[in-house]
Amino acid sequence: MRSLVISILVISLAAVGSVFALNIVSLERERLRREEGIGIVMPSAVARIVALEFKGIFADIIFSRAMTYYGGKLIREEELTGEEWDWIYKNMDLATDLDNYFLDPYYFGAVNLSWGANKVKEANALLEKALKYRDWDWTIPFNLGFNHFYFLQDNKKAASYLIEASKRPGSGNLIPTLGARLEYEGNRTENAVIFLEENLKTTDDETIRYIYEERLKALKSILFLERAVTAYQSRFNKRPKKLEDLIARGIISEIPKDPYGGQFYIDEGGSIKTTSGLFHK
Amino acid sequence: MIAIWSVASITFKEGIKNRVLFGIFIIALLLFAATTVVTTLFMRDIVKVAVDLSLSTVSFSGLLTLLFVGVNLFGKDLDKRTIYMVISRPISRSEYLIGKFFGIVMLALTVVVFLGILSALPVIISKKFYYYSEARFNWWIFFIAVIYIFVKLAIVSSIITLFASFTSNSFIALVLSLVTYIIGQSTESVRLLLASQVEKMEVSPVVSYMVDAAYYIFPNFSAFDLKTQAAHGLAISPSYILWTGLYAVFYITVAVAIGTLAFRRREFP
Repeated sequence: MRSLVISILVISLAAVGSVFALNIVSLERERLRREEGIGIVMPSAVARIVALEFKGIFADIIFSRAMTYYGGKLIREEELTGEEWDWIYKNMDLATDLDNYFLDPYYFGAVNLSWGANKVKEANALLEKALKYRDWDWTIPFNLGFNHFYFLQDNKKAASYLIEASKRPGSGNLIPTLGARLEYEGNRTENAVIFLEENLKTTDDETIRYIYEERLKALKSILFLERAVTAYQSRFNKRPKKLEDLIARGIISEIPKDPYGGQFYIDEGGSIKTTSGLFHK
Repeated sequence: MIAIWSVASITFKEGIKNRVLFGIFIIALLLFAATTVVTTLFMRDIVKVAVDLSLSTVSFSGLLTLLFVGVNLFGKDLDKRTIYMVISRPISRSEYLIGKFFGIVMLALTVVVFLGILSALPVIISKKFYYYSEARFNWWIFFIAVIYIFVKLAIVSSIITLFASFTSNSFIALVLSLVTYIIGQSTESVRLLLASQVEKMEVSPVVSYMVDAAYYIFPNFSAFDLKTQAAHGLAISPSYILWTGLYAVFYITVAVAIGTLAFRRREFP
């Protein structure tokens, strides 16, 4: 009887102790992880060999590890350094080398590298790989077209990608029209609005939707102001010097707010700009 | 033929009674359950992740069954000296070995059929949960991949038969089979690596001959790995099925035939 009591006592004390110690261990691990930062990325030729028949799972793990790292940074509200973005790109590249058809790393890489890190070249490299393998998926050339139009301002290439997208099943009938519109240099803001609205339709990821919606709001405000400037010009035969002129002459009632926290203004060329540069400060 | 069949059915019955199988099934069920949770962490290609995980579970469980149950089924007769009872009967040694081989193939078939049907569940659940419109998935290709897992396990069985025919200890047979499995899974990738990087790095001709030799000697398991095709619904041509099927039949014949040769000459302690 006595030995039973002692055993139970020892077990319960040790159990409490282990839970307590584990809590401290997880804090220590957290610190270790933060110091550890990013690791090296295995060359894909080596990874293909060591993954044996589990290449698919390997790709899943590599992708989710990078995504978790990115998510952790986002939650702690820390900025990713250029080196960390490179690491994310390499991981996405490796994951898609292990499974050439895996959409998530292509998509995650392409959206975040272009919007988040301004690494459009890397984003497009991923998308080009996806274009080759996912040869049925119209969203890939569509995204490539968008990146060429929006970030690289290469309308010709963008249009050719959109034509490619329109040839693939399920792309709908808006895309060829958009491709044709891109052949003309004008209407930039309006085209961007159409593009983004189309992007929004195919996105259900909350974070990415937020990126698109915010940019769409800003672009619509710019479009609104651009149209007001055109109206001003046709009525008074001169360009407004500042946006307040538009209000003073009763063309608009108020200047819309920049969702990125900046102020809209008219630059010397007469186009609408914002002090935020369409990025969060 | 009757002799082969009776050895096979005894081997199968002995294998299916093994408690290790319960452990393997529990692990497989836990992995299937985990699949449905893990897939929620992904963005769009959720069905792909579910297919990856559930087919790998089938393959892994089959492999565990063969390595931990199948190998022991060979060793038991020798360890417990029951082999004398068998070889004193009107049955040739070759028939005995071939019977053993078919017995563990039946064991592998049972595991694959049972888990293969169960593996559809996590895929169905994840498909209900979210199906991206540009994803491609096809049940036919999924089940072809399941059948190919069985074909691969049949080759592993033939390898086990070969090693068990001349090793004195079932642990050595297990290690040799495991090593063969690992080499067989990677020869194709190593060969591709050497072929693609020839310009960048110096590969001595000896190394590339060795890799080529290994490619032909060891079974090319990559040929039977259709998980990616199943995950993305990529078409598999009839000629692929024909030639990989023939390759499997030839390879198994060679391995089992060499095994019977070695087993016939073997002396029992």
